[in-house]
Amino acid sequence: MNNSSNSLRFIGIGAVIAIFGGLSGFASEYMLGIGFTLFMYIALAQSWVILSGMTGYISLGHVVFFGSGAYVFVLMWGLVPVWLGVALSGLVVGIGALIIGYPVLRVRGPYFVILSFGLAELVKNLVLINEARMYMSLRPVFGAPSLAQLYIAMLVLAVAATGLTYWVRRSRFGAGLRSIREDEWAAETIGIPVARLKLIAFALSGIVPAMVGAIFIMRSGIFQPGDAFNPIVSFTIVTMAIIGGSDDAPGPLLGVGFLVILQELLWANWPEIYMIILGILLISFVLFAPSGIYGWLSANISRSKKNAA
Amino acid sequence: MDILLSPQLLAAALITGVLYALISLGLNLIYGTMRLLNVAHGDLVMIGAYIAFIVFSLFNVGPLVSMFGAAVICGGLGWFAYKSIFQNLLSNSQILARLEENSLLLFFGISVVVQNLVILFFTADRQGYEYLSAIVEIGDVRLTGARLAVLIVGSVISIAAVLYLRFSLFGLAMNALIQNRDASAVVGINVDRVQMFSLIIGFGITGLAGALISVLEPITPVMGFPYTMSAFVVIILGGLGNLWGGFLAGLLLGMLEIFGVAITGPEWRSVLVYGIFIGILIFRPQGLLGRGKIAR
Amino acid sequence: MLLEINDISKSFGGLTALQDITFSVEEGETLGVMGANGAGKTTLFSLIAGHAKLSRGTILLAGQQIDGLRPDQISALGVARTYQIVRPFRGLTVLENVAAGALYGSHQEKSMAKANQMAHEILTDVGLDDRANQPAGSLTLAGFKRLELAKALATGPKLLLLDEVMAGLTPNEVNEAIGIIETCKQKYNFTVIVIEHVMKALMRMCERIVVIHHGEMIAVGPPEEIAQDEAVIQAYLGAEK
Repeated sequence: MNNSSNSLRFIGIGAVIAIFGGLSGFASEYMLGIGFTLFMYIALAQSWVILSGMTGYISLGHVVFFGSGAYVFVLMWGLVPVWLGVALSGLVVGIGALIIGYPVLRVRGPYFVILSFGLAELVKNLVLINEARMYMSLRPVFGAPSLAQLYIAMLVLAVAATGLTYWVRRSRFGAGLRSIREDEWAAETIGIPVARLKLIAFALSGIVPAMVGAIFIMRSGIFQPGDAFNPIVSFTIVTMAIIGGSDDAPGPLLGVGFLVILQELLWANWPEIYMIILGILLISFVLFAPSGIYGWLSANISRSKKNAA
Repeated sequence: MDILLSPQLLAAALITGVLYALISLGLNLIYGTMRLLNVAHGDLVMIGAYIAFIVFSLFNVGPLVSMFGAAVICGGLGWFAYKSIFQNLLSNSQILARLEENSLLLFFGISVVVQNLVILFFTADRQGYEYLSAIVEIGDVRLTGARLAVLIVGSVISIAAVLYLRFSLFGLAMNALIQNRDASAVVGINVDRVQMFSLIIGFGITGLAGALISVLEPITPVMGFPYTMSAFVVIILGGLGNLWGGFLAGLLLGMLEIFGVAITGPEWRSVLVYGIFIGILIFRPQGLLGRGKIAR
Repeated sequence: MLLEINDISKSFGGLTALQDITFSVEEGETLGVMGANGAGKTTLFSLIAGHAKLSRGTILLAGQQIDGLRPDQISALGVARTYQIVRPFRGLTVLENVAAGALYGSHQEKSMAKANQMAHEILTDVGLDDRANQPAGSLTLAGFKRLELAKALATGPKLLLLDEVMAGLTPNEVNEAIGIIETCKQKYNFTVIVIEHVMKALMRMCERIVVIHHGEMIAVGPPEEIAQDEAVIQAYLGAEK
């Protein structure tokens, strides 16, 4: 019974992915653009969850991975094949995260949160200085793959990131991370190598956003440090994950779906209103539903099941 | 290295330092008494600056007067924030357990809302006004009248505030709360009241600083965030709850920033500020001058 | 010898918390540690478990030096510890709390299914299995104390450090707790060092007792000897004055 419902679920998920993939053949540019944004934020929010949802090290500067990936990618543009470039930016940023992660993750709790924001701004300013030195205020990216191809690539990343969150949440690794979130000291006491696990989570949560950044640059056609390291991206990721729920893979899907629709309706004409709504949503969820829509739903479903039994 | 001896730069560093001291004093009170990490703190600077700008545009009244209005209005915002959100929050044990992280996200949300409201009303354009722009010469130092006024007023108010909080009864109660929350309640300190006044005074002082800053730099909806960062650096450097330490650390950061930029170039300003911030968090979380340990 | 404490001292700044402590624990023994508040008992546990660095001396576990290792490494070698002020993972379920111990600790169990199975068994031992799927934060104090014990047991300890697992419990609950500890000790075969303020419990459980007073060890021996020891009586009467 349980087995067959599980395989049904996998067939369903496979079908949804196949339909989204198939759409790239005939959907309009506009629809593909929305799909692209949707997948982009799914990939970003899921990656955020691997670090911040699982370990409780809340990153307010996740755009640093996105922007660094984009920057590494444009530096290699024209020198290596496109998709190899995307993979390499993920690799380079992942290795970079391993290196800076060690000192950065020694800073705990709320100080990590403000540190993560400061780090993103620091890297942005360093890139700005470097670009000014090279006399590049903006870098165009000519001859990128078609939107349909980029759409498919982003779909692949969204599926990979969601799968990764799903796996981590159910793995031994994830059990260690979630223990760290609840009480780092006690986690170490029961033998969890906290420094190592945090570092792996930090690097894992940076790889996909770096590749997302690379693909995003091909879509926008231009690299500008101010856009690639825009703090609004970090803020959006955090809000999406918190609204949806950050303790398991379905949460970010809900949050992203909701906010991408809102963004589509408001961003072009009323960006301030969109940001205000985003802020109010974040405040309300932190105050009244800290486990997000998915956390709230699963708590209520398990309660009503219990009542029925 | 002659540059380091320039009295002109020293004056500039003192002005920046005094403002940092003033702004971080507010943050110190709020973090110290309530463990609320107010990342929207710099937005109070921004609000104070807009108030001074509006008052000047409408009534032609300068910031040396309107700063008191800015202090009252921002203090009122502190009262409102306490009554509407934090009073309940601080008494909810479930939320209290993760209060520091949660307060950070809350203030982050508040910051986004406030900045975008300001953009809606005043656009994102830079604003500014002319005030006491004549040059004053003191020895080798040439300053605009406005900068001189900011230096004097800022010093007087920050020193007065530190003295008040050190020696008044309210200051003592507040210090007790900073040192030991549970014990304070036991010895009969009205924790609720002290918290509320800390928020009011903390917001008020910062709004006042914002009014002063309005004559020094362009006024924009996003001008506040660098001040948030600097204020965090200052309270970490100076030590939590250590008001004199904070005052000195404010001056120190002003020096580091002004002399650092003079040596490296203006494009390095942000890198310097964020670099110091990150370096302090990673290597000296216990502060340089501090007795209290701020990071766990 | 399972554990050898050789002439260890610990000072914080200028304050000496522990001075020249030497004792050893045999395999299978239950050793009690007693002393007034602030005598340095919990500091002793922190030193053994690797949460604090020794100022002087060495600690050997089954002949291997463990001081200087990280807490997770010491846990992997088979030392488990409970906290006087309980530290459950409140946001996880009771089962997840205990399974985390089995996945890491000295078991290092790689399979989630096996870890969960182990966790269920230990929860049954401590009488919490009916709560397995509740959030840990929803337990009562007695429940927290049992969870603390179950988490420590799940790591597969050779040496279990129990820090006032009975403080705050009713006499009935204390009796139950002693029963649970003794049953588990038989079943899983470990050695215990126990800090306890409930004197009767200490007298009943322990083969030997170490008495610490102002950071110094003033007596060691079987409970009945300790109860008549001049130095101990003096220290305790002195402390009460």
